Amino acid sequence: MKRNKLIILAFAGMATFSSCKKLIEVPDTDLIAGNLALSQITYVEQAVLGGYASTNPDMNILLNATFADEVTRAEFYNAVTTHEWQYSPADVGLRDNFTAIGVNYTVINRMNLVLEALPKADSTKVGDEVKRSRLRGEALFLRANAHFELFRYYCKNYDAAGLGMPYMETSTILPRPRIAMGPYFVKIKADLAEAKNLVVNSLTDINRANVAAVAGLQARVALYMRDWAAAETFATEFIAAVPLATIAQFPSIWTDVNSAEQAYRVIKTSTLGGRLGSLFRATSASASNIGTITWKPSEKIWTAYDQTNDVRFASYFKSEPLLSGVGRDPRLINKYAGGTYAAPNENVANGKMLRTAEMVLIRAEARAELNKFTGANSAEADLNLLRSNRITGYTNVVLTSKQQAIDEIMQERFKELVYEGHRFYDLKRRSLPVTRLAIDAPSPAGTTLPADNFRFTLPIPLPEVTANPTMTQNEGYQ
Amino acid sequence: MTLLVAFGFVLVASAQNRKISGTLTDDKGSPVANGSVIVKGTTTGTTSDANGKFSLSIPSTAKTLVVSGIGMATQEVSIGSRTNFDVSVKAANIEMEDVIVTGYTKENKRQFASASTTLGSKAVENVPVPSFDQMLQGRVPGLLANSGSGQPGAGANVIIRGTSSLGGQGQPLYIVDGVPLSSADLAAINPNDFETITVLKDASAAAMYGSRGALGVIVVTTKRGKAGQTNFTFKNQFGFTQRPQPSQFNQLDSRGMLAYEEFVGGFANGLTAPGWVWSAKNPANASLPATSPSNNPTLPSRARYDFLLDSLGNNNVDYYDLLFRTGVARTNELAMSGGNSTTRYLISLNNFSQEGTDRKSKLDRYSLRLNLDNTVGKLTTQLSSLVSYSKIIYNEGTFYAGSGTANPFAMVWRAKPYENPYRADGSIIVGTSTPTSPKAIGNLIERSDNTDWIENQIKVNSGLNLAYKILPTLTIRNNFGIDAASFNAQGAIAANSFVGSLQTFQSGFLNESFFNRMQLINTTSLVFNKRFADKHDVEVGAFFEGVRQWNRGFGLSMFNLDPRLTQTGQGAGPLPTNGAPTVAQNGGSAKSGFGIRSAFTTLRYTYNNKYTVSANFRRDGTSRIINPENKEIDTYSASLSWDATKENFFSKQKVLTDLRARFSVGEIANINSIPGGSFGINSNFYTVANYTSAQQAAYSTVGFAGSPLTATAPSTAVNRDLRLETVEKLNLGFDFGFVKNRIRLRADFYKNTTNDLFVRQQLPATSGFYGGVLNVNAGNMENKGVELDLTLEVIKTKDIDLILNANHGYNKNEITSLGTVNEYPEGTGIIKKGLPVGTHYSFAYLGADVATGRPIYKRANGTPTTNINEAGQFHEFGTWLPVHTGGFSASFRFKRITIDALFSYQFDVRRYNNVQNWVSQGDAVYAGAVTQSQVLLTDQWRKPGDVKMLQGPNSSRQFTSYDISDASFLRFRNLNVSYMIPEINVSGKRIVKSARFYIQAQNIAIFSSWSGLDPEDNNNISLAEFPNPKAMVLGLDINF
Repeated sequence: MKRNKLIILAFAGMATFSSCKKLIEVPDTDLIAGNLALSQITYVEQAVLGGYASTNPDMNILLNATFADEVTRAEFYNAVTTHEWQYSPADVGLRDNFTAIGVNYTVINRMNLVLEALPKADSTKVGDEVKRSRLRGEALFLRANAHFELFRYYCKNYDAAGLGMPYMETSTILPRPRIAMGPYFVKIKADLAEAKNLVVNSLTDINRANVAAVAGLQARVALYMRDWAAAETFATEFIAAVPLATIAQFPSIWTDVNSAEQAYRVIKTSTLGGRLGSLFRATSASASNIGTITWKPSEKIWTAYDQTNDVRFASYFKSEPLLSGVGRDPRLINKYAGGTYAAPNENVANGKMLRTAEMVLIRAEARAELNKFTGANSAEADLNLLRSNRITGYTNVVLTSKQQAIDEIMQERFKELVYEGHRFYDLKRRSLPVTRLAIDAPSPAGTTLPADNFRFTLPIPLPEVTANPTMTQNEGYQ
Repeated sequence: MTLLVAFGFVLVASAQNRKISGTLTDDKGSPVANGSVIVKGTTTGTTSDANGKFSLSIPSTAKTLVVSGIGMATQEVSIGSRTNFDVSVKAANIEMEDVIVTGYTKENKRQFASASTTLGSKAVENVPVPSFDQMLQGRVPGLLANSGSGQPGAGANVIIRGTSSLGGQGQPLYIVDGVPLSSADLAAINPNDFETITVLKDASAAAMYGSRGALGVIVVTTKRGKAGQTNFTFKNQFGFTQRPQPSQFNQLDSRGMLAYEEFVGGFANGLTAPGWVWSAKNPANASLPATSPSNNPTLPSRARYDFLLDSLGNNNVDYYDLLFRTGVARTNELAMSGGNSTTRYLISLNNFSQEGTDRKSKLDRYSLRLNLDNTVGKLTTQLSSLVSYSKIIYNEGTFYAGSGTANPFAMVWRAKPYENPYRADGSIIVGTSTPTSPKAIGNLIERSDNTDWIENQIKVNSGLNLAYKILPTLTIRNNFGIDAASFNAQGAIAANSFVGSLQTFQSGFLNESFFNRMQLINTTSLVFNKRFADKHDVEVGAFFEGVRQWNRGFGLSMFNLDPRLTQTGQGAGPLPTNGAPTVAQNGGSAKSGFGIRSAFTTLRYTYNNKYTVSANFRRDGTSRIINPENKEIDTYSASLSWDATKENFFSKQKVLTDLRARFSVGEIANINSIPGGSFGINSNFYTVANYTSAQQAAYSTVGFAGSPLTATAPSTAVNRDLRLETVEKLNLGFDFGFVKNRIRLRADFYKNTTNDLFVRQQLPATSGFYGGVLNVNAGNMENKGVELDLTLEVIKTKDIDLILNANHGYNKNEITSLGTVNEYPEGTGIIKKGLPVGTHYSFAYLGADVATGRPIYKRANGTPTTNINEAGQFHEFGTWLPVHTGGFSASFRFKRITIDALFSYQFDVRRYNNVQNWVSQGDAVYAGAVTQSQVLLTDQWRKPGDVKMLQGPNSSRQFTSYDISDASFLRFRNLNVSYMIPEINVSGKRIVKSARFYIQAQNIAIFSSWSGLDPEDNNNISLAEFPNPKAMVLGLDINF
């Protein structure tokens, strides 16, 4: 009987192999993926950088230049559908250059994976705990920024009841429907508010988020929400942290010699991040054979400046004698020209994501809307502050009405922020038409986009409508 | 009380005893020791001694003796007035068809409700094919076993009852003596060891195997020792595999090809080929001098060009002869078996060697099996153990498949017939091949002579099964199994060869790699089995099972090898860095593994041997699913069987002699279809699978200039909600017997529905992967079919037997749902709701335009167009997975001569014929690179007004419906003629118990409208694969 018991015990022992819990928890040890990939703060930091890597100004710059009145077609023109507002959800021009829905949700997903992994990641180095909260702040900042960009592309002007986009707070492959702009912006603001408490309060590394950058984005969000008081507050916060560049400093911003006025930028090199200048002109074959010009400055913008005294003109534009010498139009957009023609860094220039001049103009607009159009701490004061730092021998103006202030501010935004990704959105949010000069217009139909036209909002691309059954197409494109 | 009564009866009966005696022998005449001899209906009995002798006192009332030996069939012998009984006991396997081995249990066939087919050892014995899955073709209704390669050792793609997944679904589960055997290692075991092969096809049969058995289970039992005298078997086999025969593409010979080149060159620009370059009709040659100067006779001139054309035209080398050979096949096997009442054993040692039909390929296998059975009291121990070593030499084309220049099966029809690969002195011509100086065959032969692709495999497949009867009705059992394979492989290109000079760093190449795969399985069970009131048979079992697999591999590549040596890294020189700041690794390594944990219970109840109800409930969990909520899955199966022969009415009718009905239903999860990935390990042979890369985001570097740290991001979308596919299986079957069961028909009807089918879905942008696609559980698929299996015993007499069998399987596959999409193209096919898997998706070709000769395609609206961009793609050209499969066989015996023949067939199947497309293009590109077919001489458009199928030489044709050919075939698969040599006695002493001499031939003939070497394949397209060879062997089996 004793032997029987022993044998039965032996069988029971063998059974334990089968019932072992570990059998259904065998990890894929060699896969740098999932929890393992982001298992330490250092790795999470690399993944946050992956979010920055996909955050670029290029698409905004090209959209606002070519959909509005900042550029005129030049030597090579294949953007009829976008430049002349003929796009449909299946448009190839939108597909090739403006799939904001792709890049922004890419950033969002990357950051949601970061936010999920962060609490579980091990700290292995001194300072990792501080970094843990900083990284959370940066992830929230990038997530909010990407959602805000999606709003600018695919949503009408802010209206709490209007249709926002899906606000993604977890990583999932399941389709998610659009939500109303009210809750959508509550989430953007919440992400930014939390981010501001977590990111560094220093401008040492402006390639990454910091308190000033968050304030700048908060100001921009408030501007689009027409929350004027908040816009004034946040813009003021930014301006206090990052002063305006002087006339003397200004040109070096655009050659990337200094980084004045910036709280957040995207660094570009000849091999990484793309060439901003190539949005308008291809790289050159040689120092004398300048690359094909796809877009040149519009007559409207070219003639908007005091070309002698306004430091902006020479920083943003150039009349190139090499071109007129070979019978080509000499007018060039010079803002992102980078190195000399055919140099390795030709057309390479950093993206200036949040700049003090924009903040001054946001504050001016907010103050004007709050009826503070003249006197101390008014729109007038902000305009004079900016212009006196741009125009040699500038004489202060005195504004006499809110409307005059708004008009002057819009014109100043046009001149100051040209090719920085604002113009089309500015016209859209102020319910203004795109009005091109006859000489700038590619065709009679491509002269004017009436105010509040449905095409100020881009269509949800067709593949997305197919892939996401819960997606709602924008008005006018159904 | 019962015991006492029985005892009393014995006492009483003994009063009138008489004595009998006798000998028990087996069918080979060997004495059977420990056989039992019992008077029927009593407990009176004895056992035979070592010489098979027995003696026994029996009551005068005794009428019948029940005789049986261990491993032998029970036999009844009437007593009469005899006192001496010499009984020949048959081995139990002859009656094997009454028992079905499912791996976990042995089921009484009459109560078994499932759809299954059992084959005896004859189906696989002595077949000259190393991998036994290939032998199943045409044998099992509903089982498709197609081989894609004639490389010795290549397996088949086995699909049971249709495809159940859209991705790679994997192969059925193979079980040998209770231990899983990796489907990749089938060539490593010796099929001569097999006793039975049972193919389990429906839910209740496969339910025991849970998620591993969703694609069907092939259960193999091997031969075991029998109590009695030691038996030796020696098998010897020798034979040949025939080299491929010239194709049916009707290609042009040298002069024909040169003339055709001249024609195409004159018609279309861009042809560089001797027939045009040196042609008198070529305008470039208009001003050639008539003759070359005598001091420089090779300078271009008309005479020189005519000379060149003439000498090329005289070359007609038989490339089949140069590139292929007759392979030699050899087998030697020695088996030994025997034992006594407590311990039985079987040992077999086998060497199988087969050469492929190309210049190099070969398989050499040594396998050793030890099967041991022991019973001590209540404990039964069974050891089944296989160790084997195989060496496989691969053909170049296996590694450079498709139409590449290293593949002899492509170059044999691609290379121009006028190329002469040898100089007058017999040396080979190698170098850069150009149209006017072709060296393709020379390079191919030189490459083949200077490269080696060799793989060594050590295989272990062993199981230990312990069963302990706690009570007569309660058994506890543990089954432990190891299935391990260790591989090492070498790819070597000699440094001092021409092909070696073409490698990176210009001095040979060496790739060495290692791969190890190890699976352990342990199953512990407790089974209660009791018959109540002689009517109610109950069996209840509880099972716990664990499976654990480990994989590991590494590889390295070396360059700049020492030209004095071959197949070694010794003496290899350093590698230059060319000033690079970093140097890539030339090695790789990875490991992975997974586990499966299962708990299940089985219930069976049989009423009066008539009705049987059984059920299986189980929970399977696996590490291959990451999401904790989906890790474990519960499934079930249930079945019902009815044995009508036990009904009263049955004896009242005369038509049927057997009737049974079977019904089963159940759901099985499929662990094989989980999307995964693999790690590259710098090996030309192996990758290491990973199991969860589709479920967790893998991070890789992305470019970012804003930090000294590297930025990373997930590279592909992942499905964190991934679940197992499940297959819901329904089966209804009937077994009929007529004329004393000499006519038997087995019919099965089934419907399998795949749920949570992995479907490639377009990802929403919110996933972070706009425009990406991912496999998600979103679809459904159905396989419906009928299987028939008819056996006729036409003649069954002492001297003559004739048994015919025919089996047929019809399977209709349909994708019934694809989630949010309705269709998507995949490769050359389309996945579309309402259509079967494997459906071709192609342009419809309508012939050559009468006016221009351009190819005409059909637009989506049906109208013709010559613009390919306007052409529509259609899905009406059939599927590459055959709808009908089957086989028929005849077994004829006349006295000692036996003839077995097997035919297999498949129809309703179409495949892309890549070769046909290439040889019938007839344009400047193809005429320049590929020997064209004579069909172009008659069917090609040449001038306006020609009504022809093939387009003119001035345009080329896309892959179209024209290239999708019927791949139906009827194959004379196997023929075995054998002669049973009688017992040989020398001066009264038996030297040989029995012997058999046979001729066995495989793939004897094929009947098909397919053009090309072999219509049989395991995929959608024919790309000049290694054809399945014709083989013939002579063999001698001796028992002594």
